[in-house]
Amino acid sequence: MKTIAKTQIDSILKALAVPYNLYIPVAGAFTQTPGREGLENASQFRLYQEGLPLHWTTNTCLSPKDLLFPQTEEMYTIVSHGKTVEIQEKAIGHKPTILFGIRSCDIESIDCMDRVFLEKGFEDTYYKTRRPRTILFALSCTTHEDTCFCTSMGVNPQSSPSADVQISDLGDTFSFTAQTLGGEQALAYVDALLSEIIGTGPSGALKTQTPDTLKTPEELKEIALSNAADSTLSSAADSTLSSSSADSPLSSAADSTLNAAADNAGNKTSAASPLPTDPMIITVNSDGVSEKLENMFEHPLWDEINLPCLGCGACTYVCPTCYCFDINDKTLSHTTINKQRCWDSCMFSDYTRMAGGHNPRPSKKERVRNRFLDKLLYNRQRHGRLFCVGCGRCVAKCPVNLEIATVIQKIQAAEVTPS
Amino acid sequence: MSMIYDMNLNPQKISKIPKMNPHESHTGASPANPLIPKRGIITKITTETPDVKTFSITGADGTKPFTPQPGQLGMLSLPPYGEAMFSVTAQNDTHIDMAIKAVGSLTNALHAVEEGQECGIRGPYGNGFPLDFCHGKDLIFIAGGIGHAPVRSLIRHCVEHRTDYGKLTVVYGARSYADLVFKDDLFDNWPKVDNMDIHVTIDRPEDGWQGHVGFVPSYPEELALPPSVSIVCGPPIMIKFALQALTKMGFKPNEVITTMEMRMKCGIGKCGRCNIGSCFVCLDGPVFTQEQLNAMPPEY
Repeated sequence: MKTIAKTQIDSILKALAVPYNLYIPVAGAFTQTPGREGLENASQFRLYQEGLPLHWTTNTCLSPKDLLFPQTEEMYTIVSHGKTVEIQEKAIGHKPTILFGIRSCDIESIDCMDRVFLEKGFEDTYYKTRRPRTILFALSCTTHEDTCFCTSMGVNPQSSPSADVQISDLGDTFSFTAQTLGGEQALAYVDALLSEIIGTGPSGALKTQTPDTLKTPEELKEIALSNAADSTLSSAADSTLSSSSADSPLSSAADSTLNAAADNAGNKTSAASPLPTDPMIITVNSDGVSEKLENMFEHPLWDEINLPCLGCGACTYVCPTCYCFDINDKTLSHTTINKQRCWDSCMFSDYTRMAGGHNPRPSKKERVRNRFLDKLLYNRQRHGRLFCVGCGRCVAKCPVNLEIATVIQKIQAAEVTPS
Repeated sequence: MSMIYDMNLNPQKISKIPKMNPHESHTGASPANPLIPKRGIITKITTETPDVKTFSITGADGTKPFTPQPGQLGMLSLPPYGEAMFSVTAQNDTHIDMAIKAVGSLTNALHAVEEGQECGIRGPYGNGFPLDFCHGKDLIFIAGGIGHAPVRSLIRHCVEHRTDYGKLTVVYGARSYADLVFKDDLFDNWPKVDNMDIHVTIDRPEDGWQGHVGFVPSYPEELALPPSVSIVCGPPIMIKFALQALTKMGFKPNEVITTMEMRMKCGIGKCGRCNIGSCFVCLDGPVFTQEQLNAMPPEY
């Protein structure tokens, strides 16, 4: 396990930003636009620049989905003169990219995106270009927001086995564990900056369980230390058998890091350590929700829950698993059009309205029903998993509190006559 | 429609992410981006009815832009009006045909163009009709209005491969005589084909009309057609009543085949809007059996 003091994290970022397009979670900023001073920009992933204010404590307001699936993507240009039409495809440029500090929920949402864009018939050219060239650095959570409910959706907030690198927050330090070849290659660029602790790291110890409460940095550190100790024992045993120097025991550098970590563990007053965390406020039982929904298409629940919906589309905009897009025109001149695809929202009335006026989902009831069935049933049938990762963004942003956690609770409480 | 799925909340991660060196930059366009249209030329425009025209579209190299199976779709675009999905009604070596009714901004713009107009064309999309399933069987085609367009591709295929299929029966209707599409086929070509019956109806009586008057959904029952494989297409309300009538007449749900329409943008099952339940019409459809539709939410 490799670690670095939190105060030194910028050196890692600076080093990774050279070979990669490095995206980091950046705190919301206050605008200076005259007349709009004080309005907050959302915290989100931005391309690394020195001095950008990092957003480490909780997840970003906007998900990183736009880095694999941009909000607007220019596809091709059409030039038309009289009866002639010329189509010029836009190049897709993509430099190797690191998304640094993604939370477990958003790592899971990328799995959802993989299923949509890389499975089932056609592959999406844009996504297929970006995805294999994107290295995911997952960051474990040590605290949660009031709106988080990832553990209810089967997500472990402190471990993302599918990420390329797992970063664990150990209080004063971050540990880095490579989990894929791409992750190892990325970490090689910063190897000189990291200190070594021999051990399997906390992610290995935690990956088999979904905790009801988050482990504190101190608990994580204890696990890390005990793993390091186990590893030392086994490597000592190995070396007595083989007398090989390959399985080297603790180096003096790692030793001192261990000691320093142990000191920190005892230092409860350390200002950098987050407080031990409470259980998540929102808990829902998502077991069996798909099976129950199979018989709920005509349920009166949908007549009730759509009533407050404003159709604003905020839920789909912030949702990390919402993938719907529109293809439309950006008119550059009377002869030239840029064809682009943009995020769309199933909550809008013209989303399904056909030429001639027929609309299979004409009112909010059908649209709200389709959205929740899509998250909790249709994608399970189509792509093999629920398309909610419990990030809580729709809980935080829905202006009328019509969010998925409450809806799951209402579904589970609904009475259904078996068909 | 299979409704069986993995019960595990955290299933295995997919292995579809292409294996490649992530440290290799990518520049330039991919050779086969399914969302990019090819340049096409509208080489011929045939007026079918006051609001339906058939457009023959040839690729830039003088051959047909793609080779669809009967029932498959193509995405036609006309700048600056946009792009929409149409069924391919016929094809030969040099072009594909699309019969298009003027209902919205793109289709009205198409009706205003002249022969020689260039356009964008991509496809084919969708599953098409189940030719293997239909092979050797008697087929009944039931269509209303512009719903004749997708069905015609299969009728033409059956006529061209006449010995591969049993008796062919066409039941077709429109609001008026003027609204009947493909009159050449209905009144001249198909009546001459061996073992093929054509039944045409219009909604209201008209001067000079000697044929049947009445709506399409009730006509098969009046004709006392024996249950066999049937292919149904038309406006949503016609499909609904036709399926009810066929069920009453004893047609089996797995032998009643229909084509659905939904708003589409991508055509490749990604953009989300053409779903009926967990099926995407552009990819899993547009052809479904009544048995499949019965397992899907009634939202079309």
